[in-house]
Amino acid sequence: MTLAAGIDVGSAAVKAAVVRDEGNDPVMLGYETVRIRRRDLDEVVRAAYEGALARSGVSADDIAYVATTGEGEGVPFRTGHFYSMTTHARGGLYLQPGARAVLDVGALHGRVVRMDERGKVLGYRMTSQCASGSGQFLENIGRYLGVALEEIGELSQRADDPEACSSICAVLAETDVINMVSRGISTPNILKGIHLSMAGRLVKLLKSAGCEGTVLVTGGLAKDEGLLAAMAEIAVERGLALSIENHEHSILAGAIGAAIWGAFRHKKLAQRRALPV
Amino acid sequence: MTTTETTPIEAWTRRVEDLVLDLDLSAVRAWKDAQPGRKAIGFLPTYVPRELIHAAGMLPVGVLGAGEELEIVRGDACFQSYICHLPRSVMELGLSGRLDVLDGMLFPSTCDVIRNLSGLWQLEFPDKFVRYVDVPQNFDPEVGGKFYERLLRELLGELCALSGKSPEEVDLAASVRIYNTNRARVSELYALRAEEPWRVPASEAYLALRAGMQLPPEEHTALLEEYLELARAAERPMQDNARVVIAGAFCEQPPLPLIRTLERAGCDLVDDDFMLVSRWLGPDVPETGDPLKALVDAYLAFGGEASCKYVPDGEDKGARLIASVREKHAEGVIFAAPSFCDPALLDRPMLQEALDEAGIAYTSFKYSENTGQLQPIREQAGTFADTIKLWGDQ
Repeated sequence: MTLAAGIDVGSAAVKAAVVRDEGNDPVMLGYETVRIRRRDLDEVVRAAYEGALARSGVSADDIAYVATTGEGEGVPFRTGHFYSMTTHARGGLYLQPGARAVLDVGALHGRVVRMDERGKVLGYRMTSQCASGSGQFLENIGRYLGVALEEIGELSQRADDPEACSSICAVLAETDVINMVSRGISTPNILKGIHLSMAGRLVKLLKSAGCEGTVLVTGGLAKDEGLLAAMAEIAVERGLALSIENHEHSILAGAIGAAIWGAFRHKKLAQRRALPV
Repeated sequence: MTTTETTPIEAWTRRVEDLVLDLDLSAVRAWKDAQPGRKAIGFLPTYVPRELIHAAGMLPVGVLGAGEELEIVRGDACFQSYICHLPRSVMELGLSGRLDVLDGMLFPSTCDVIRNLSGLWQLEFPDKFVRYVDVPQNFDPEVGGKFYERLLRELLGELCALSGKSPEEVDLAASVRIYNTNRARVSELYALRAEEPWRVPASEAYLALRAGMQLPPEEHTALLEEYLELARAAERPMQDNARVVIAGAFCEQPPLPLIRTLERAGCDLVDDDFMLVSRWLGPDVPETGDPLKALVDAYLAFGGEASCKYVPDGEDKGARLIASVREKHAEGVIFAAPSFCDPALLDRPMLQEALDEAGIAYTSFKYSENTGQLQPIREQAGTFADTIKLWGDQ
């Protein structure tokens, strides 16, 4: 049995997960998510890691491999680091074994990763550097409208006449939103318009990556049911055979994937008698 | 991640980084100012026999461009857009007066661009000593050997004339000994890095080597010894990274942030071809007999390998690279070559073919000494490291 931890350092939150791996059957024991909120990153990482250990009922000494991902290359107590695409692919497969692609929508980017049944990355596509397809953009809009991030999805699904907005540039989209508010457009219709705009870009990304079948949405925006509904609508409109799903632990996909790969790597190194000491 | 305390090795790194990134060559100026009449001779990559400059009583100074520290204006006027970045920045350094401290320049036969740069240098700086050093591409002692010996005797005479030292005073054997010691410390550094890469990050090893481009060899040897002691004593955790060899960076140097990016992406760089002048001959140049002949023989028999060196038998192409991978227990190769570097980029397909046959993984990218956009390289190196770690044995 191997216990491994994964720590995913994102731009808005640090996620940590602990996995127990027996043979080829990993099981997540516990997890923790801590928002960064301009605090010292060292402290946030430590809090997420210790929280995940406590919720898993294990101690740091029990962990054979601490794997970081995301922006976690600088975590001093890591055993190794895996790149985000590698970890989201494996974490996505753990959460949804039928998925052959993950759509990682985080605070500052959108990214599609295709993988095989082992979690090996087969290809990927990323959005351009513009933030209009990202969680940070949506959070900013929510702030203008006085809506909490968690409420956005539900409100969006109440829309009856969504208002189109710019899908190219976050700055233009924000200007659009200000205009919409002054024109008296309802909050649900504004939010649905934004969701459709973001969904259009993300579905285009899925198409360009050659995705088919089940796609698991990971990252911070996976919880946004309004965005998923908008993506499903657009996929149907465009005749794409995609089942776009989320999971209650979607936000942890990177951390889970890192932990699973950490355990996998630990076993390999043990076989070679080359374990880090 | 931030730490507040500065460890001895961090203090060493900052000190040496300041030295290396100083485009005004303050260390060279200080060396000259310490004793009236001292002279310094610049040289470009890949290889010149620094022992001759040292024996003539002058300071050899490696000129490796301006990295990302200087905006190129006048240098661009001298070269076409399809020429690499190094000659532009070297020309910019020269025309802006930053290389005035150098009393001469040696341009080795690395490529056509360096040769043309030597011609431009003669036109731009007619009062300075300029020499094109045509290191041989024929390794037959009777042909390339005789040619090289004659070239070195001429060069030593010219350097003595410049320094004012009479050829009778020259103790070339002593210079060979001093550089042998220096090369032995460099070998020790590379051996430690290959054995325990977490103790010797490539970025620090690079700084340690590059400091030798400005310091007298005796001082550089002491600096290397200081670093080796600090590295062995430093408490650094072993990490699970992919062991890779870098190939193609033998002339125009990658910017330091690029080397750090590769390391952060999960690559332990266990061998490289940075500043090969420091390692071209190895530490065992014979210290008895005719020292000049010893330098010639060492060049012919044991000289290093880079794309600028002709490999007479095509079957041997890539053999040194593969041997390095095997000796250093590397798991892959990163081909990192400067944009528009003809020797490295023309060699690359042949080297890749050799690696394919040997079953060694590789990835490739281009850079420039002033490359600032490192995110694509980070992604590429990161996924390469993951591939090696997870699927390398399949």
